[in-house]
Amino acid sequence: MDITFVIINAIVVASIYGLLAVAVSITWSSLGLINLGYGFVFSFAGYCAYVVAENVSEFPAVVAAAGILGGALAGVMICLLVFIPLHDKPNFTTRGMIGTLAISLIGSQALLMYFGPRAKSLPEIFGFWSVKIFGTVLTSDKIGIVVCSIIMLIVVVMWMRGSRRGLEIRAMMMNPHAASIVGIGIRSTGIYVMAMTGAMAGLAAVLLSQTYYIAPFSGLTPLIKGVSIALCGGLGSVSGAVIAAVILGLTEAITSRYLGGQYVLITQFLVIITILIVRPRGIAGLLDKAREQ
Amino acid sequence: MTDVLRIDGLSAGYGPLRVIHDLDLVIRPGERLGIVGLNGHGKTTLLYAIAGLTGWQRGSILLNGVQIGRTRSQGPGRYTHQIVRKGLAIMPQGDEIFTGLTVEEHLDSGAFTREAWRDRKARKERVLDLFEPLRKLMKTPVGRLSGGERRMVSIGRGLMTDAKLYLVDEPSLGLAPKIGQSVMEALLALDLKESAMFIAEQNVALLEGRVDRVIGMHAGKLKGEASATLGVGS
Amino acid sequence: MTDTTPETGPKLAPTTWVNPLTPWGTAGQDDVTSVQAPDPRQPWDENTAYKAKTYKVGRLKHYIVWPAHGAKLWDRWRWWPTRRNLLHIKGLYNRKTLKAEKKILDRRPVYWAICLLLLAIAPFFFPESMENTLLSAGAIFGIFAAINVCWTLIVGTASIFSLASYAVVGVAAFLTTWLSANMGLPWYTLPLIGAFMGLAMGAIIAIPALRLDGFYYALLTLGLNELCRVFFTTSSEFGSASGGLYGADTYISDQWEPYAQSLTGYYGAFLLMIASLFLFRFINGKRLGRILRMAPEKREAFAEACGVDYRRARVTIFVLTSAALGFIGGFYAAQFGGVAFQIFSFDTVLLGLAMITIGGIGKAEGAILGTLVVTVLDKVMIDWGPIRHFSIGLIMLGVVLFLSNGYFGIKKQFNAWRDKKRGEWRSIRSEKGGEALPEEATEQDDKDELFFRRFDKMQRDYLKGLICPEIIEEHRRQPLGQHSEALERVCYYFRRAPMEDKYALHHDHAKDRYKIIAFSGKRGVSPRVVDDREYDNVGDAYHAIFIRRVHDLMES
Repeated sequence: MDITFVIINAIVVASIYGLLAVAVSITWSSLGLINLGYGFVFSFAGYCAYVVAENVSEFPAVVAAAGILGGALAGVMICLLVFIPLHDKPNFTTRGMIGTLAISLIGSQALLMYFGPRAKSLPEIFGFWSVKIFGTVLTSDKIGIVVCSIIMLIVVVMWMRGSRRGLEIRAMMMNPHAASIVGIGIRSTGIYVMAMTGAMAGLAAVLLSQTYYIAPFSGLTPLIKGVSIALCGGLGSVSGAVIAAVILGLTEAITSRYLGGQYVLITQFLVIITILIVRPRGIAGLLDKAREQ
Repeated sequence: MTDVLRIDGLSAGYGPLRVIHDLDLVIRPGERLGIVGLNGHGKTTLLYAIAGLTGWQRGSILLNGVQIGRTRSQGPGRYTHQIVRKGLAIMPQGDEIFTGLTVEEHLDSGAFTREAWRDRKARKERVLDLFEPLRKLMKTPVGRLSGGERRMVSIGRGLMTDAKLYLVDEPSLGLAPKIGQSVMEALLALDLKESAMFIAEQNVALLEGRVDRVIGMHAGKLKGEASATLGVGS
Repeated sequence: MTDTTPETGPKLAPTTWVNPLTPWGTAGQDDVTSVQAPDPRQPWDENTAYKAKTYKVGRLKHYIVWPAHGAKLWDRWRWWPTRRNLLHIKGLYNRKTLKAEKKILDRRPVYWAICLLLLAIAPFFFPESMENTLLSAGAIFGIFAAINVCWTLIVGTASIFSLASYAVVGVAAFLTTWLSANMGLPWYTLPLIGAFMGLAMGAIIAIPALRLDGFYYALLTLGLNELCRVFFTTSSEFGSASGGLYGADTYISDQWEPYAQSLTGYYGAFLLMIASLFLFRFINGKRLGRILRMAPEKREAFAEACGVDYRRARVTIFVLTSAALGFIGGFYAAQFGGVAFQIFSFDTVLLGLAMITIGGIGKAEGAILGTLVVTVLDKVMIDWGPIRHFSIGLIMLGVVLFLSNGYFGIKKQFNAWRDKKRGEWRSIRSEKGGEALPEEATEQDDKDELFFRRFDKMQRDYLKGLICPEIIEEHRRQPLGQHSEALERVCYYFRRAPMEDKYALHHDHAKDRYKIIAFSGKRGVSPRVVDDREYDNVGDAYHAIFIRRVHDLMES
């Protein structure tokens, strides 16, 4: 166990949780919804991938696509059930958060009832090979995870920057009232946002299940980590979330290397609390006024 | 030829407050209509009612023969985007802008119909010809612009589509007289073709003699039609 | 005379009018064809009728009035040692019967007493078969209700959206269990030690609360909860193998028979719940709570400008309540002899959130009702299996989607909705044309004038209906004298017109011809000539005036 290995692990972990963090971040800043239902989205996507791998094909791209589509579907479900009925009601933030929690409760219980408590595993989608670069052995799954999540992030960022929908989403982040005046529907944009972020969570689920199993409640830890990273990076900022993911990944790797695995969360939260006390709106907390309707 | 806008028996308000009383109005194609009135007499509410942004409203509003007004008391703005997509360009009072987007992205966001999005370059050129000062600010975030430039951006955003009806709310509000004058010049220089423009304004002098009709608004009702040269309210 | 017969509205029933003067022979005409005049009260009733649909729900608060006076008596009773009245009662005399009556102005204490009494005597009515389940569920209900009441203080009164309440309880329970098991502390010290631990922990968690706002803090505390869970489950000190830490001294002795044990547990938890309610009352209902009611969310800056130090109040409440939560944690250890890791799990937080949202955030009764619902579903309906949590989730979702602040917020929400709708309907209802518009009416000083205009419009509408060729013909034949009812009503209205612009006849004696003039209505200003046309006899002239007035009426 040397330091490069630690750093590689950190990057792998950071890339998966970074995906979720960016999803949480985008949802909050564009819809004003704190979506704590990503735990459910995560396990739902994992089970979708599992069902497809069992019944249709174990071809990697198909499994990954099933996971992404499953995530998007779960995201749209949350949007239809919580965001659309509630978005113009009083106490939206609190009620929205509790609503997504309720969905996560219902969804996990439904998964538990249908698939049973036993954990499921996905096929290895990146194969079993390894490369040696600069004296370090990189296994296929690590390279695959990092590459896939970076590609996904780049695709999302490009889409947000370049396309028309992305422009609409960014416009809605800044001023929802003005957005409706220029013909941007809050509800339809909400569906796009939730589908996109759901797809990101779905991909994260597929990637994480390369190392862990899929269980009805397996989405909880990724959710909490994703949320903390999003917080730390500053809700609403993609670059902040990426920086925070790297910082927290490094903290995790260094702690488990020098202190031991059980202190990971403690050091992580100390780091988060320190960052938040120094910068109460996160590392890239530019959005001071963006969401104070 | 259908009228661009035909309002019949429109009442609108917010909660228990009734701001517009049984209002009838017809705007014909190619017409530039000015509405003048003091603060709080319902000019902005009339515009909002057309766009579906009031608390409640009833009465019929036909935009190019399509019914866009219905009896509704749902949350304001619930259907605004659908109404806007039927051919309305709103240039709202104050600066309803997206502070983080650049001027260029702003103009793009105004091009919400498919055709407009496709030839948005040409349209941006057209807007820039109208508002020369924006040309060198294209990459600047709108949050850093001055009041007059923001107003130009928000009006330019409205000009990006082929709207049938342009609703302009107080284009000169809060601007230095000279800048207000130039913004108004730009609005009046626009070639309307088949569409129409509806300008709500407090400053009668800016509209005098330069629009086709001026109507006064008092206590939620339209007060008589005056020809543009008479100068209502003076 | 041109016979311009104005068009009339709906056709009226023709009738033959018999002149009552016929037997005396003084009548000009005997039998006249006329029309049946409808009841003049009809338009009045139609116009003054209240057309809005009315509902029986009113804005008035409904009070139950009890017989016998009692106000004097009740006023003298105090809650020892305070100066507070037993119940807020008003004595009054019935207006009709003049009997002495009393009215309870604030009935909430009565409801609280009834509900708590029911909970207190409930164990004696539990069915034999479920006694054990119900008693243990009752004990859990009491403890969780206490936790949730404290949590409501934090979330509702202090508006700090902390999700770490169960973490505080759990940490205190674990540490006290560990202390008791390893150092042999007796059970009655555990809650006190727990309270100190809660105080310390609250002070630590409160530091970020000073800097972070709302949901940043919620998410942070969620993480904190997870941190505690991982720390305690992984450390071998706290029994990572056995799923919890047990072995603390408890106040329920093993030597007692099982029923007595459960009963003691039930009442212990019940007392804890009542203690937490007192805490709620003393924080929310006293100075701290009032300060914070002056500084609701999003209006903090204003409160601050008024000199309210809301941050200090919030943190004080947070720390005090954390101490209480620590106390509950110690009590938990003393009740169950230990604690399971489940207290830290995300599910517990979720269920706790379900409990406080179902009843309504910010109200003690809400927290207790929610706890009751969730505990019954979770602990009593055990044979439902996983559907239990599923249905809790459904209830939670339903409450969030349809109610803005839980069950106890329904009344307020309904009233707000009704007021909104009522305002909209009222403003939509005002009618078009004729009468003064509401905003004109406010500028008119003489309200009589407004009423007269309204009445006049009604009357004109009625008379317009009476104008028909028959009565014009009748008038032409005999302008003066007794007429049929329809014509007579029209004539009365014309004769009563104000002097301004009232028509009159000018008789030129020299030529014996008549001309129509109109009065100016002002003394000293001469009348104007309306028409150049001259009439030979007075009857024709009268009829010409009549026709003119009919025209004016029909055009108004």
